[in-house]
Amino acid sequence: MQASLLARFAENIFWIGRYVERAENIARVLHINGTFSRDKPEGPDWGRVLEIYGDVDRFAETYEKPDAASVVNFYILDRNNPTSLVESLRSARENARAVRHLISTEMWTHLNILFGKVKALKARDIRMPNLSRLATALIIDCQTFEGITDGTFARGEAWCFYEIGRYLERGDQITRVLDVGFGRLADEAPGAVASVQWNVLLRSVSGYYAFRNRYPSGSQPDDIATFLLYDPEFPRSVALCVQRMTTRLRDLQARHVETQSADLEKARRTLEFSLETGPGTGLDPQKLHVFLDEIQVSLGSVSNAVQQGYFR
Amino acid sequence: MTDGLKTPAAAPAPLDGYDAGGYFCEMHGRRGLGHTREIRKRLDALDIAALRRRARDAERELLNLGITFTVYSDRDAIDRILPFDIIPRVLSRKDWETIETGVEQRIAALNLFLHDIYHKGHVLKDGIIPEDLVKGNENYRPEMCDFDLPHGTYIHICGTDIVRDERGKFCVLEDNGRTPSGVSYVVENRHLMMRAFPDLAHGIPVADVDQYGERLMRTMCDVAPKGISDPSVVVMSPGVFNSAYFEHIFLAREMGVPLVEGRDLVVENDKVFMKTTTGKAPVHVIYRRLNDDFLDPEAFRPDSALGVPGLFAAYRKGNVMLANAVGTGVADDKAVYAYVPRLIRYYLDQDPILPNVPTNICREPAGLKKTLDNLDALVTKPVGEAGGYGVVIGPRASKRELRELRAKLDRDPANFISQPVVNLSVCPTLVGRAVEPRHVDLRPFALTGKSTWVLPGGLSRVAMKRGSLVVNSSQGGGSKDTWVLV
Repeated sequence: MQASLLARFAENIFWIGRYVERAENIARVLHINGTFSRDKPEGPDWGRVLEIYGDVDRFAETYEKPDAASVVNFYILDRNNPTSLVESLRSARENARAVRHLISTEMWTHLNILFGKVKALKARDIRMPNLSRLATALIIDCQTFEGITDGTFARGEAWCFYEIGRYLERGDQITRVLDVGFGRLADEAPGAVASVQWNVLLRSVSGYYAFRNRYPSGSQPDDIATFLLYDPEFPRSVALCVQRMTTRLRDLQARHVETQSADLEKARRTLEFSLETGPGTGLDPQKLHVFLDEIQVSLGSVSNAVQQGYFR
Repeated sequence: MTDGLKTPAAAPAPLDGYDAGGYFCEMHGRRGLGHTREIRKRLDALDIAALRRRARDAERELLNLGITFTVYSDRDAIDRILPFDIIPRVLSRKDWETIETGVEQRIAALNLFLHDIYHKGHVLKDGIIPEDLVKGNENYRPEMCDFDLPHGTYIHICGTDIVRDERGKFCVLEDNGRTPSGVSYVVENRHLMMRAFPDLAHGIPVADVDQYGERLMRTMCDVAPKGISDPSVVVMSPGVFNSAYFEHIFLAREMGVPLVEGRDLVVENDKVFMKTTTGKAPVHVIYRRLNDDFLDPEAFRPDSALGVPGLFAAYRKGNVMLANAVGTGVADDKAVYAYVPRLIRYYLDQDPILPNVPTNICREPAGLKKTLDNLDALVTKPVGEAGGYGVVIGPRASKRELRELRAKLDRDPANFISQPVVNLSVCPTLVGRAVEPRHVDLRPFALTGKSTWVLPGGLSRVAMKRGSLVVNSSQGGGSKDTWVLV
């Protein structure tokens, strides 16, 4: 007899989705910041990455200044930073260990090898000249996991939780990048330098060529914002993340996996409503910031409600 | 390679110069076993470097797949592998028949014995085994008295430790009837072997070990509570920190059932449920991989956080079945072990197919005399101790140790058994750059629901240290794939 998924397993799988997605996004932000950003003559501004993740204070507890070596170390190797790549992947692997009998052998093996690889990294591996190669390899490793999961994981209840975790994390990541990117760029005078920065922003979420395709004639800031927030085809747009997550929640309902918590539906509706309302016409940086903040809070509420409703 | 026969041009073949040193060799037997001829020929077609390369690949594979036991430091889960030797241990069809029927016979007797001691106790009244040895045993569970189990099966999963002496005769060293480990290695070693060495087994009729999970599931269904035709089965683990956690994953995966921990289960009105995303779902059969003591803080150790309060009451009501049953530990006790040949005769009226290692029971005058007369040649074991504590190996003991042992035997003979030193058989094993003999044992796995089935194969543990007779993984032991020819 096939029983429903154990609540604990649903939680493990949800977090596997989140942690791997997080690792991929952080690796990309580091890669792009180190490679393409030209905001200062002396090199990239690494404080920006700390702002994206709201880590300015946490970082300052351990490090003196946000230089390249410190920030990269903080986000890749630092075992005391729970969002560092090594810690995200450790958490993904430990969650996978708990549900290893449910996931495919390939999924487990890939995470197991990936964590071993990141854990073995030394300080020299993350030095500037090596950063791009390393980060690119890690992005591909995370994407490989996504592909393995797509190709081997049964499309059951467990997979729904994996997808919900993954899209919640992706939505969260993109709003962070957008928020900091717009906040900073708005302060600067329009010109050639700014245009490069808009492209950096797009590349940070793997959206540069997708955007070019969609808006061949230019990179107006409000086009970029609309694209990253609402594009129905770009796989990382906030709207698409929310839509995919909603589909999986509906799938769970169709499988009669209903949550006892009314909060989830409420949180989801709030999120959808905010998104539909939008940041308003014309690009007011202040309004955009408030709006993105609202979206992030809503994503957090949905995540909490999923945990309360299904994993308790 | 000290003789002049070596051809300088050719690299040495793996089995060149191999010498079993007077022990029974699993590959060569006494006069070169016929059934391994083809395998030896194929091994010899390789050179040591190729063998080493394949062995290295296999061990990396173990780590990647996470077929490991885990050591936890403050921060990381460090995975260690059980060393895997790439040269298989091969059993002929005839040898396997002896093992299979012998194990079946032994388990039949042990199940009848357990039923008996938890019911009328004929075996005690008839004086076959001393009553205090059974009822005074710390693993005897009076809570199990007058409780009828489906098919009278107590030991659903058994892993009998079997060794082979210098004449090639099999004998039983231990009956593991509580929660025997190692079956995952039987299956995974085979997969590993087939990946690393597909050409070695090609065309050789080796019995399949893949059906264990299906058979185990069938066994669990055999013993489901009355009226449940499609039972909900789970594997219950103490958790990821347990060193056998990989095996628990393996078992759940092979059966296609959830791997639960105590915290996932709840008992209501003497019924067991698991906490799922849709609420509580019933549980009917639990393959539990934790000891009796930890199952239920209400019935056994009150400080156990691993168990489920009320589980034992649900069990006694017959609403859930546990495998193995509670209270089997008394049957695989060291002192009770000595009586198993007599139990076989008593319950089955048969001679044992697999003998014990000859055991002198010191609570009996004849056994005590034999022990005292040969103290320097025997292995003497206190029955109440576990993990090798207090064992005196006569040939290696000092005069003073023997004198002290003699005094203890005089004081409390009932606490001791003695056995001759068994010179375990050896198997060619890749050690560094050479193939050398290493001692092995064998643990076949048997499942019993309505009837008993023995997985054709087993865990061959190998002592990787030269001359060592200790095959335990905690002492640096490894394992080999075990081929049963059909």
